[in-house]
Amino acid sequence: MSLVADEIIRFTSVLKIAYNFLAGRNYLKRKKFREKKKLIAVALPFSDLAFVAGGIPVFPIRMQIFEISRYLAYLGSASSLFGWKNVSNFLGFARNLGIAEISKLIDDIIEDVIETINNKYNEMYDLGVESGVSSDFCYGLKSLEGMHVSKGKNVDACLNVTIRCSAYNKYLESLQLINERPKQIWLDIPPRNIGNSLELLRGNISNTIKELEDLTGNTVSDNNLRDHFKLGNEIKRSYKTIIYDISASDFYPCNPATFSEIMSLLNITFQDYNSNAMRYRDNMVSLVNEMQERIRKRIGMDVREKPRIFVTPMFGGWEPKSHEIIYELGGRALYADWEMVKLLEEIPISNHLDPVEGYAQFLSNATETGIGCDNDKLTDSYVRMAKNLNADGLVFFQLFGCHSVSNCYTMLREKIRRELEIPITAITFNKIGENVEQVKTRLGAFMEMFK
Amino acid sequence: MNDSGFLTDFSLFLKQKKQEGIKVIAFLAHDNIPEELIDAVGFFPLRIMFGGNDDLMTASHDYLPPSTCAFAQTCIGLFSIKPNEYDFLDFVDYFIVSNHCVSDICASEVISKYNNIPRLNFYVSYTKNENSLKYFKLELQDFKEQLEKVSEKIISDEILLRSIKKYNNFKKILSELYDLEMLGSKKLKIIQKALLMGPDYSDELEKEIEKIKTSPPLKSQDLKNILLTGCSIFINDELIDLIENGGGNIVFFDTWIGNHYNSQIIEESVINNSKNPLDLLVYRFKNNLYGDHSVSNYLQNKISLIEEFYRNYQEKTGQKLGVINHIIKFCDHMSLMSSFLKDKLQEKGIQVLNLERDYSRANRGQLSTRVEAFLEMI
Repeated sequence: MSLVADEIIRFTSVLKIAYNFLAGRNYLKRKKFREKKKLIAVALPFSDLAFVAGGIPVFPIRMQIFEISRYLAYLGSASSLFGWKNVSNFLGFARNLGIAEISKLIDDIIEDVIETINNKYNEMYDLGVESGVSSDFCYGLKSLEGMHVSKGKNVDACLNVTIRCSAYNKYLESLQLINERPKQIWLDIPPRNIGNSLELLRGNISNTIKELEDLTGNTVSDNNLRDHFKLGNEIKRSYKTIIYDISASDFYPCNPATFSEIMSLLNITFQDYNSNAMRYRDNMVSLVNEMQERIRKRIGMDVREKPRIFVTPMFGGWEPKSHEIIYELGGRALYADWEMVKLLEEIPISNHLDPVEGYAQFLSNATETGIGCDNDKLTDSYVRMAKNLNADGLVFFQLFGCHSVSNCYTMLREKIRRELEIPITAITFNKIGENVEQVKTRLGAFMEMFK
Repeated sequence: MNDSGFLTDFSLFLKQKKQEGIKVIAFLAHDNIPEELIDAVGFFPLRIMFGGNDDLMTASHDYLPPSTCAFAQTCIGLFSIKPNEYDFLDFVDYFIVSNHCVSDICASEVISKYNNIPRLNFYVSYTKNENSLKYFKLELQDFKEQLEKVSEKIISDEILLRSIKKYNNFKKILSELYDLEMLGSKKLKIIQKALLMGPDYSDELEKEIEKIKTSPPLKSQDLKNILLTGCSIFINDELIDLIENGGGNIVFFDTWIGNHYNSQIIEESVINNSKNPLDLLVYRFKNNLYGDHSVSNYLQNKISLIEEFYRNYQEKTGQKLGVINHIIKFCDHMSLMSSFLKDKLQEKGIQVLNLERDYSRANRGQLSTRVEAFLEMI
C-alpha cells in the first residue's frame, strides 16, 4: 500500500495544486492562444513582476505533457461536475471500500503523479545533457536547460533574475542562444546592501517593469503592485503556517511521508504559483484549513516521538524518496528551502511606502541575509532555519556539480555541531532515482543516532 | 612550463617588499579587482595565478567537494600545503573575497577562514548597465574604506590617480608584447611575470621587449597558429608545452592572463578629463568587454573578438588559425558556454577545440592526443 496515496487524496487542496501543476499545459495554451496573454518563463520564486505586468509566469516544466494526463482529464472533468471536495471525498470513499483493485488503481494514480513529476525532471535533465550542457553541472541547471530546449520557444519572454550562483547566471545568458524568439528581460540584484544599492535595485526593478509593460502592453500602477504583493504575502503566510505551526508540531494531519510529499509539491509550485496567483492563494489557504481541521479532530498521526530531520537543499535537485525512507526509519523529513533563503518573507506594502522600494527591500534582504553573498551568510541561514524548526538532525544534499550551495557543507557541519549540537550528514546527489540504495544506507546509519 | 626559478626570484622580491613594511593583499586573479587602490594605499596586490597538480587539488577536498573548479581547488591546496617554491604565500596579510564566480567566493572564503588571513570584500554586479556601474562605484568606495581602515592611511585622489596612471602605462608597455612574433610559451612567461610582479617589472619588461624587437627569436614555420580562449594558462602549468610539443603555437591569448588585462587601457584624454579617479576605474570596468564575469553579452563579445582577430590574422599572414577553448574542469563560466561558443565559431568557419581538463597528471596523454589530432586538422 502506498504510504502517500492513502492520505493525500483526503486533501482537496493538494489534489487541486497537483492538478494545476500537471495540467498546466492546457491552461497555458488557453491563456496564450485564446486570451492572448504573454507567457514569461521564470525559475526560482521570482514570478511577482510577471504577474504584476499581466503576464503569465511559467516554470517551464509545466509546458510539458505529463503521462498521466488521461487520469487528470478524468479528475478535471469530475471536478467541474461535482467540485473538487466531492472528488476528494469520492476517492477516499472508493479507496476505503476494501476492493483491492480500486484501492490499487487510486494508489497508482497518486503514485503516478509523483513518479511522473520525477520522471519528467529526469527527462529534462537528459535533454539538457544531450543539448550540450556539460554533465559537470548540477541537476537543477541541466533540467532547466532541458526545459528550455524542449518548450522554451513557446514563451514570449524569460525573466532572468541574477543570483549569487555564477553557473545559474551563465545559464540565464545561454537562454538567448537556445531560443532566439523570447525576449530576455533581466533583473540584476546587487550582491550586497551597501551605500545606496537599494536605490539602484529599485531602479533595476523599475526598468524590468518597463520592459514587461512593453511586452504585455499593460501599464503597471502602484496599486497593481500592492495588490499582487498582498496576494503573494497571503500565500507566504499560509506556507509559513504549514512550516512552523504544522510541520514542526507534534501532531500531523497525515503521516510524515505524505506531509513531506505535500511540502515538496509546494516547493515546486511556489516558483510560479501554478501561473495563477489568486487560485494558488485560495488553495494554500484551503490547505492550511484542511490541515488544521484534521488536527483539531485528531485525524492524522502523533509524531512527537519522531525526530525532526531538516532535509535541504532541494531546489537544485534532491532524492524525493528520502522523506519516505526517513519515515520508514522512524523520523520525519522537514522541507523549508524557500523560508531558509528568506523568500517567504513578506513584501512591505504599506500605503506610505513605494511598492517598488518594498520589493527592492525584499529582494535585497533575501540576497544578503538569506541566500547570502558568501558561505558564511548562507550557513547562518541553514543554522537559523534548523533552530527555528527545532530540528533534531540535518540531512544536506550535496549536489554533484553544484559550486554554490553544496560547497558550504564543511562550514555548515562545523556550525551545526558547534551551535546546535545536532547530527548532520551529507548525501551526494546526481540524478533522481540513481542512488536510492546508497541514500537508504546513508540515512539508515544517520537515523541510528536517534535510537 | 617549469617556473621554479622564477618563483624563487619572486619569493625574494616579495620578501624584500615585506621587509620594507609593505603589506600583501592576495586575490584570485580575476580582471575586475582594482589593483590601483591596493597600490595607492601602499600595499602589494598579489594575484594568485598558479597552476595545480594532483596533490594541490586533493588538499582542497577537506573543504570543498572534488566537483569544484580545479583552479579554485589549487588555490586552496596552495595555502594548505604551501609547497617550498610557494613559501611567499606566508607573506599574505589580507585576502580579497570576490564574486568573479561562485568558486572564487568559496575558495577565497576558505583560504581566509582556515588560514586566519583577514578578508576584504569586493563584489561586482553580474549585469552591466547604468546601475551596475553605479554599484561598482559603491564597491570601489567601500573597498577604499576597507583599505584605509586596515592601513590607517587616507587614499587621496592624487595618489590614486598616480597609481591609475602607473598601471595604465604598465599595460601599455605590456601591450607592445602582443604584436611581437615569438613563441607563445616565451610570450606567456613574460605576461605571467608581468602580471605577478606588476609595474615593478616595467623597466625589465621594456628591456625584454626591446631585445625581442632588435633580435627577433626564431620560430619554427611548421608550427600551427592557435588562438587560446577560455581559461588562462597559469604559472607552472604545462599546457602550453603540451600544445607546442604537439606542433602548435599560441599567437593570441584571449584570457585573463593575456588580452583581457590589456584591453583595459584607459585613454589619456579620459584620464586627463576625469574629476574623480574612482570614475576612471568605473570606466575601465565598463569597457572590460571580454571578462567572463558579466552577463548577458559575454559570449557575443567573445565571438566578435575572436572572429575579428581570425579575419585580420588570415588577411595579414595568409595563415590558418585554430581556436583552443581551454576549459578548466568545473569552471562555471567557460564550461557552460563551451558548446555554444564552438557551434557559433564553427558556423563562421573557425575550427575550435574545446579542451576540458583539470590538473591531474593522468590526463596528460589524452590531452596530447586531442591537441595533436586538432592541430593535424588545421
